[in-house]
Amino acid sequence: MSYAIGLLAILIAVVAQLSIMPAFSIFGVQPNLIIVLLVAWMATRGRREALVLIPIAGFAQGLLDSQPLGLAMLALAPMTLMTNVRELRLVESDLLPAVILTVLATLVYETVIMVTLVVTGEHPDWLASALDVLVPAAIANALLLLPVYGLIRLASMDLRPRRAF
Amino acid sequence: MHVRTRTWFGFVVAASVLFLVGSRFAVFEPLESAVNAIAAPVESALGAATRPVADFVNNLTDINRLSDENRALQEENESLVAEISRLRDVDKELQQLQELVNVRGNRPGERFLAANVFAREPSNQQDLVAIDRGSADGLQEKMMVLTRQGSLVGSISRVLEHTAWVTLITDQTSAVGALIQESRVQGVVVGAADGTLTMEFVEETADVKEGDLVTTSGVGGRHPPGELIGQVVEAERAAQQLFQQVRVQPLADLSRLESVLVLTSFLPLEAGAP
Repeated sequence: MSYAIGLLAILIAVVAQLSIMPAFSIFGVQPNLIIVLLVAWMATRGRREALVLIPIAGFAQGLLDSQPLGLAMLALAPMTLMTNVRELRLVESDLLPAVILTVLATLVYETVIMVTLVVTGEHPDWLASALDVLVPAAIANALLLLPVYGLIRLASMDLRPRRAF
Repeated sequence: MHVRTRTWFGFVVAASVLFLVGSRFAVFEPLESAVNAIAAPVESALGAATRPVADFVNNLTDINRLSDENRALQEENESLVAEISRLRDVDKELQQLQELVNVRGNRPGERFLAANVFAREPSNQQDLVAIDRGSADGLQEKMMVLTRQGSLVGSISRVLEHTAWVTLITDQTSAVGALIQESRVQGVVVGAADGTLTMEFVEETADVKEGDLVTTSGVGGRHPPGELIGQVVEAERAAQQLFQQVRVQPLADLSRLESVLVLTSFLPLEAGAP
């Protein structure tokens, strides 16, 4: 059941990312709801569900965005390696690692897109991209994580399997 | 690190590479066309429904800038009102403005196709918008896209059956041969990661002033000459530099495009060549 809800949430996030999020710019960039949702899901629902949802999110985004199918999946793939962080329980809070993972996942995602530009023969300005896109995007996503994390945490209370009396 | 996680990572990367290779040969284009055809109306409706909320939120966060802008606009408005009152032939003035604004009326020999913008590329590295017209409507890659008022938006970079992606002139991969209308100085207008426009290769000695209009030069054959791109907002002359850096402001707000015109009667040389 929770996988189905996760899948539905991801599909809604992908559509919203392309149609709604561009209108809400923070620090001159659009926050990435897909990354934020995946990290929040990872932090609240755990590794197993996140591992399944990450490639699905990449595939769904790839079908709808301007990039070749597979690129979004590739850019999100490193997030699978981050799913272990929650299990390590380095700190008591789930939120702090989630914020750090959001920043990290954003930087990796945008860097993969930049590397793709280079591979396809473009010459992006790395310094300008880092200052004008990477850093603001990481901060914007970290800010967006707070409400999304709160919502998923609230919703996830209803998703827990009920114990029989 | 967990062995299963690494295996899964390897599987996801391998699947991504397979999809990328398949995309290279357009294997997934029918699937992408079908999904986009279904999603486009949903995305369009969602975008339209949330636009007032987005405007409200953006206005709240931009309150200081808007306040300054409002003051400047009020002053400008006063001077404009005074100027208009001095005009003797109002009808003639209106007619001139109408000619400037009405692109279609002015260019009867050219064919345009109207399209709605329904989505935007999620990556902040690239500046592309999706429109609800595709190859079924006769669109082809590299066709030029204009605002309804006639200024340059960008060019089509990917066409599916019922939708297409437009690379905006503000995209960091965009380069348009341009000239400054008043002085006829030529250069290249390029986009940047932060969505701004710069006119490069403008000679250090060239006469460039704030407010000068920048149009396409037609050099290279990728764009017809004379299409409006924007207005010069700053010209920077650094000592011992061969060229000056000219910052250009697009005439249209490309971050809030709702509808565009595709110029279907012009194809760039390389695209139109047999």
